[in-house]
Amino acid sequence: MFDVFRRNRPLLVAVLLVALIVFWMSNRYEPKVTANILLSGLTLGALYFLVAAGLSLIFGLMDVLNFAHGLMFMLGAYFGYTVYANPRIILNTLPLMLALGGGAMAGAAPASWVWARLGAAQNKRGALIVVWLLAGALTLAGIWRFDLQSLAANAATVAGGAIATGQAQEAAGALAARLGLLSGAGLALGLALRSREFGPGRSMARNAALGIGLVVLAFAIVPARISGEAFILGLSNNLRFVLALAVGALGGAAIGALTEVGLIRPLYSRPIYQVLLTLGLVYVGTEFIKGVWGPVGYYMDIPDYFNTRGGDCPSPNLLLWFRDHCGSIDVLGRPFPSYRLFIIFLGVAVFIAVAALLRYTRLGMIIRAGVQDREMVQALGINVQWVFTLVFALGTGLAALGGVAAAPFIGVNPGIGQDFLLQSFISVVIGGMGSYPGAAIGTLLVGLARAFGDQLVLSGVQFPGMETAVKLSPSIARASTVLIMAVVLLLRPAGLFGKKE
Amino acid sequence: MKTPRLRLPRNWLGPAALLVLVLFPFAMALITGQPVTEGAPKFWQGMLAQMFILAVYAMSYDLLLGYTGILSFGHAMFFGTGAYLTGILLKHAGWPLWQVGLAVMAAAVLQSLLVGLLSLRVRGVYLAMVTLAFAQMFFILSEATDFAQWTGAEDGLHSIPAPRWMNPTDERLRFYFISLAFCVAIYLIVRRVVESPAGKVMIAIRENENRAQMIGYNTFVYKLLAVTLSGVLAALSGLMNALWNLNANPTMLSVGVTINALLMTIIGGVGTLVGPMLGAAILQLLGYWLNAFFGPRWPLIFGIVFVLIVLFLPYGVVGTWQMRGASWRSTWAERRRRLAGWANEGGLGRKN
Repeated sequence: MFDVFRRNRPLLVAVLLVALIVFWMSNRYEPKVTANILLSGLTLGALYFLVAAGLSLIFGLMDVLNFAHGLMFMLGAYFGYTVYANPRIILNTLPLMLALGGGAMAGAAPASWVWARLGAAQNKRGALIVVWLLAGALTLAGIWRFDLQSLAANAATVAGGAIATGQAQEAAGALAARLGLLSGAGLALGLALRSREFGPGRSMARNAALGIGLVVLAFAIVPARISGEAFILGLSNNLRFVLALAVGALGGAAIGALTEVGLIRPLYSRPIYQVLLTLGLVYVGTEFIKGVWGPVGYYMDIPDYFNTRGGDCPSPNLLLWFRDHCGSIDVLGRPFPSYRLFIIFLGVAVFIAVAALLRYTRLGMIIRAGVQDREMVQALGINVQWVFTLVFALGTGLAALGGVAAAPFIGVNPGIGQDFLLQSFISVVIGGMGSYPGAAIGTLLVGLARAFGDQLVLSGVQFPGMETAVKLSPSIARASTVLIMAVVLLLRPAGLFGKKE
Repeated sequence: MKTPRLRLPRNWLGPAALLVLVLFPFAMALITGQPVTEGAPKFWQGMLAQMFILAVYAMSYDLLLGYTGILSFGHAMFFGTGAYLTGILLKHAGWPLWQVGLAVMAAAVLQSLLVGLLSLRVRGVYLAMVTLAFAQMFFILSEATDFAQWTGAEDGLHSIPAPRWMNPTDERLRFYFISLAFCVAIYLIVRRVVESPAGKVMIAIRENENRAQMIGYNTFVYKLLAVTLSGVLAALSGLMNALWNLNANPTMLSVGVTINALLMTIIGGVGTLVGPMLGAAILQLLGYWLNAFFGPRWPLIFGIVFVLIVLFLPYGVVGTWQMRGASWRSTWAERRRRLAGWANEGGLGRKN
């Protein structure tokens, strides 16, 4: 009996905390206000969870604290928004990236064979320098004067409307030339990156085929750019939203995988520098986003599925909502935006899916074992590097998915990454780094606290001994989550679910 | 232990650099033919004065990262709080400067003790996260409209009434020498600290905290000492920065400022004192030139440079020089010798 309590103490504490918050709220406010605050808190919590889950998994498995996770969230939001509102940027830049990436894959496949035949180390070093320079020069030539900004200039165009598609796009020939240069650069890059690994590479032919396939795909997109754009913009905005979710998440995952392989992997022997590197990436990424999409933000409109007005709206309950697709649902007499319910649903679905992945699949087993003891897993003959890349991609993909889902809710601007990173940090510190349930509980607590805090500062705080309530700005609520973290740190430095050092 | 050959440059280089910096404004005036208080000399005095202020900030960060091995991502909060407090006390309270200086130091001690006590409960990257969270709290509060009458919310504090005798626009030359003296004084203090027994313990903590604990040192106290000292120095550099800019704004509390400290320290060389100062100079100059070349998006180039340095030059300019300098020198000597030998054999004109 008592053993159960002792073993589940963190969970009990968390439940107690949530219950306390809810109880306090229900005492203070009417039930409909309480329900509204709770749902708002769950919405925020779900978004924080999408960021924090990856953060926590990545840290638990490979001890990398990814400061660029907020950036991935933001990139996801921008990718999704771009696909949704103005797919032109994606359609014009995707071939470039595909060519570079495909080239690199094709180049990496025979790399070990090539390098092994170069003989003396002296030759190898010289050749490596030449190959690196070649890769750099070809990349520069490939992206020279590529006008991203004018491509993004009408990013704010209302989706579905007629955009003059020919404008700002390069002629197919010029773009194809760029693709040629970039695939060459990719080949050199792949050769250079794999120069240190010797011995026969596994599935050489498959990698090469995949790489070549990607390059071919890149060339195939070029003539289809305009019709592709028209096709995407012609879709209903629900389908476009689904497409945005998929592209955002996949884009985030791809960037995550590239980051892990290209930048983080060389630094596993220097953990501090990994952190510095991810911080540097935030710097680069934020400036990049400001450079391409401009420093001001955009609002993505809510898809029609969640935004029907008139008629019987707001829907009196969830079942009727499935018929009407109203913009909001009546919760205890107060309308609540249905899109936010979708965010909650997404958060819960991802939580369950990842939990199932961790619990019931072989990959999940390896991840759980890796969190416990990385060296042991490696010693058992499992390719941990590959798992690292996969988990990194999974984590960043989830964050990017969160970014797309957040875009219609809070908008897209170059500052959202930092805010979400901060709140997710606080969540995982509260929940305990590396613990998956900890991340969920931590984000839930922080989300609820934020929603509650927002309500509290808006309605005013009555300090004892004061005549009138003090009205505060929402910034105070944002800052106050740091205090929660401080309290948890004082009581339990390893977080609610964390392992003691 | 030390060979005389190594000691000579160390004793000789510092004063020489100081002499160069003291003579710099006059040399500049002589070269450009403009008076010391106008034109290009005035502009470059300003650049250097900013470098000195940033150098102190970078040194304070290196005391944490390079000497004690504490990775803090919240350094901007000390810098920014120092700047804000200076602005508020000068503008709204009208205190004399020396009192403001004392108040800034006292506040920094309090702030760093509080943050240190909480964040030092965890180690490594956890600490980085926690300090970042604290710093963001100050950043958010500085933007909050609740304190707008004191902090000016998002606009920040403008036209801080600095004492007239050290006004950076009217008395540029004097400000230059004041900031130079400030930088040199702090350098000497930090060097004294680093070479003191307490400093040795900090280095021991950086190398292996458990071992330092095992020997019998209360590592927590030493870490707290390092955080406090570094916080006070950063706040002082924030004070100087507020006096230079004559304003204090939320940007000074943002993550960007912490990243600047990191950049300066890493570029210059972690764990050295000259490194961060050099890093500050490089950052300032590079920022100026990149801005001229690439316009407002220059931090993008800068970030890429930072990432490349983290990947390929992890010990910074000074650190890499210390490690590789001897071998580079010998390599070049070897190459010269080979070239000479090749030339002796007949060089290009030899016939087989």
